[in-house]
Amino acid sequence: MYLMQSKNRAAILGYGAYIPYYRLPTTEIARVWRGGGSGPNVEKAVASMDEDTVTMAIEAARQAVAMSGLDSLGAVFVGTESKPYAVKPTSTIVAQALGQHHTLAADLEFACKAGTEAIQVITGLVGSGMIQAGLAIGMDTAQGRPGDDLEYTAASGGAAYVIGNKGEGAIAVIDCSTSFVSDTGDFWRRAHEKYPRHLSRFTGEPAYFYHIENAVRTLFEETGHKPGDFTYAVFHQPNPRFPVEVATRLGFTMDQIKTGLLNPMIGNTYSGSSPIGLAAVLDEAKPGDKILLASFGSGAGSDAFCLDVKDGITKKRGKSPTVKSMLQRGTRIDYSTYSKFRDKLHK
Amino acid sequence: MAIQSWRIRDRYYRLVGSRCASCGAEYFPPVYRCRECGSDKMKDKEMPKTGRIVTYTQLHEPLPGFEAQVPFYLALVELENGARVLTQVVDSPDEAVKTGAKVKATVRRAKVEGESGQIIYGYKFIVA
Amino acid sequence: MARSKAYVASVGFTKVGDHWEKSLLDLAVEAGSSALKGAPKAKPDVLIVGNMFSAVGASQEHLGAMVAGALGLTGIPAFKVEAACASGASAFNVACSLVKSGSVGSALVVGVEKMRDLEPEEASQALAMAESAEYTQFVGASFAALNGLLARYYMESEGVSRDELSSIPVIDHANGVTAEHAQFRKAITADVVSRSSMVADPLRLFDCAPVGDGAAAALILGDPKAGAGKKLVGVLGGAVSTNEFSVYERKDMLDFRATRDAFGSAMSQAGLSLPKLGALEVHDAFSVVGALSLEAMGLSKRGEGCRDAKAGKFDLRSDMPINTFGGLKARGHPVGATGVYQIAEAFLQLTDAAGKNQVDRPDYVATHNIGGVDTTAAVHVFGRAS
Repeated sequence: MYLMQSKNRAAILGYGAYIPYYRLPTTEIARVWRGGGSGPNVEKAVASMDEDTVTMAIEAARQAVAMSGLDSLGAVFVGTESKPYAVKPTSTIVAQALGQHHTLAADLEFACKAGTEAIQVITGLVGSGMIQAGLAIGMDTAQGRPGDDLEYTAASGGAAYVIGNKGEGAIAVIDCSTSFVSDTGDFWRRAHEKYPRHLSRFTGEPAYFYHIENAVRTLFEETGHKPGDFTYAVFHQPNPRFPVEVATRLGFTMDQIKTGLLNPMIGNTYSGSSPIGLAAVLDEAKPGDKILLASFGSGAGSDAFCLDVKDGITKKRGKSPTVKSMLQRGTRIDYSTYSKFRDKLHK
Repeated sequence: MAIQSWRIRDRYYRLVGSRCASCGAEYFPPVYRCRECGSDKMKDKEMPKTGRIVTYTQLHEPLPGFEAQVPFYLALVELENGARVLTQVVDSPDEAVKTGAKVKATVRRAKVEGESGQIIYGYKFIVA
Repeated sequence: MARSKAYVASVGFTKVGDHWEKSLLDLAVEAGSSALKGAPKAKPDVLIVGNMFSAVGASQEHLGAMVAGALGLTGIPAFKVEAACASGASAFNVACSLVKSGSVGSALVVGVEKMRDLEPEEASQALAMAESAEYTQFVGASFAALNGLLARYYMESEGVSRDELSSIPVIDHANGVTAEHAQFRKAITADVVSRSSMVADPLRLFDCAPVGDGAAAALILGDPKAGAGKKLVGVLGGAVSTNEFSVYERKDMLDFRATRDAFGSAMSQAGLSLPKLGALEVHDAFSVVGALSLEAMGLSKRGEGCRDAKAGKFDLRSDMPINTFGGLKARGHPVGATGVYQIAEAFLQLTDAAGKNQVDRPDYVATHNIGGVDTTAAVHVFGRAS
């Protein structure tokens, strides 16, 4: 009775991930602030000084739209917590860059969960027949206060999904989803503040685990699915440990989650985190595979999806750059270059 | 700057240049009159997003607003349709930025009007 | 009655450099008064001011009436002519046309630029206004950047070495040593150029004209008798030509078509062939621009401008000396004034008043001033009047 399922099933018709070119090894952050060691992840992806959520969203969206083969989008939704403007939509700039004007455009914010929210909303719009197809983007240039634990993981990147009516070109059908929320202040950023704050270990048990477990268990109960039914599972990745821990608790194996587990290489891309993980899975999934996707956003909530991979994936594969190719293309920078890029230096 | 850029945002975001309705020559930036046949029948046309570096420079002394980026690459790129674009080349290793290198278009922040003004977006290229 | 001749009766100019104590108007008045004093009998019927960016550099426009008033010429028509770095020679060209047409009997041209009040980036921005705001300035390309692109293209296409590229600045600096009005009066070697700090790779600091303040003026007469017996210099030819606006829009970036056309036209008006020229003031805002200009004017074959310079073909004591007072590199480049400085220097050469920089009794001297990267070219050819 809590399951969300559109009357007409919607499907992913195209997708595109974006990981910026620059990588900061966490040993660099540790060198500057602790004198040595490293963070939980090996590296994090860092947007260049001329990149922001708008530019990265455009890049991912162009790939997704090209793969979909569509030329008209009824909705453009950008889920992000790093809007370049407090007031002025990110989504209209993305829509303009895509040449889309007769479209519903909106920015969504829900800490790290805004990307999957966009997928939920577009699925509903398509499923109800209000629009033929729409674009859901999860993208962030996450910032951590210099020296804060968050700085090791807060990263940039995300992915875009064109969702439309299922049919021949379907890559994966969005079969159903759940969402579970509560008022939980584990992480927040007040208006006009540059960096977020967090309540240390509070972000684990009562926040991340509680909400994801509720969303996924509800999905299992109401669909009758078991972990073993899924070829892949993707969880939100604030660090390398949490997704592994929540997967174990829910009964998934390392084999099911390793493909979509990118945090060790790129960090936590916030609204982009689980959407990029899904892109990495789609890069190698086969028709007939079942995928579980579960996001988490502080504040707090989780969206869980059940996706069924379709034949369209074979035909469309290779039409946008793979997550793997983006991981390989990166170049390492030092802490001073990172400070310059992310405006941590003031002249 | 914000209004001047707004007017031609499709040129900045999507590389909308012009095509001669008489002889088919294509241009970016757009032109009022065809340099090949002299026709004034020019129509807007989105340019291809890939091309090659014709020549380039690395700029060390910036214009105001570009101070944080120096040194940065500027290149003359010939697109697949023959149109020539002056552009920044970003996210590319030094050894890759050279005459003849294949490049592809992206959209980046081109100019930011201080802390409270608008952010102007526009094309830049990356070595493919 | 339509006249067909114009003469330069006198010239005036300030030293080029850092004029911290002098305003734009102070400089214009100093040069203008000096030119007027040189021919006290003549009174100009019109004032044409050549200037590129007084609005940006000094928050000042309406220079025509302002300079006229300060020179005690209130009442006469007065205008500013702007054509980027070719503003000075363009103003001179307009003034000569008015005189030759017979609509005025005499004209005063004042070229002036105040650059040093600006921070370096502001000066770069002001210069970049010669290029497209929407497609050149927008991508962060300064004027030096465009010339850097062009220099690499030239060097790669024509096989020109770094050392060869340095040869025109070396000539300029050698000639600047004895030029009292020059901004820099120190000889340099090719090594100094090649090792100076990078501006727009491959262009280095010494490949680029400096930023400086200055003003130069010339008094033009239609009737030689109005000069009251002073030595006059005849304006034998003058032409302004334009190229495709931005260098990167041209089919052949190495063909300085505006320079070629303006020079060809001015020389043919004067009825002269190249060997007749005793000296040439060439617009070398960047070393590559000097080389391409020499090639466009036929002084060197394509790709050979720098090598010819290196071989001594354009030295002060050669058959074809260039930039006899240091050119844009050493005399300096107060942009809107540069074209008028070149004309003043041609006047000095042809009246045997060039002092230590005097070339061996030239009969004809040409001046070449450009705006943008050969976007506007203004060429004038002068000869002894008697």
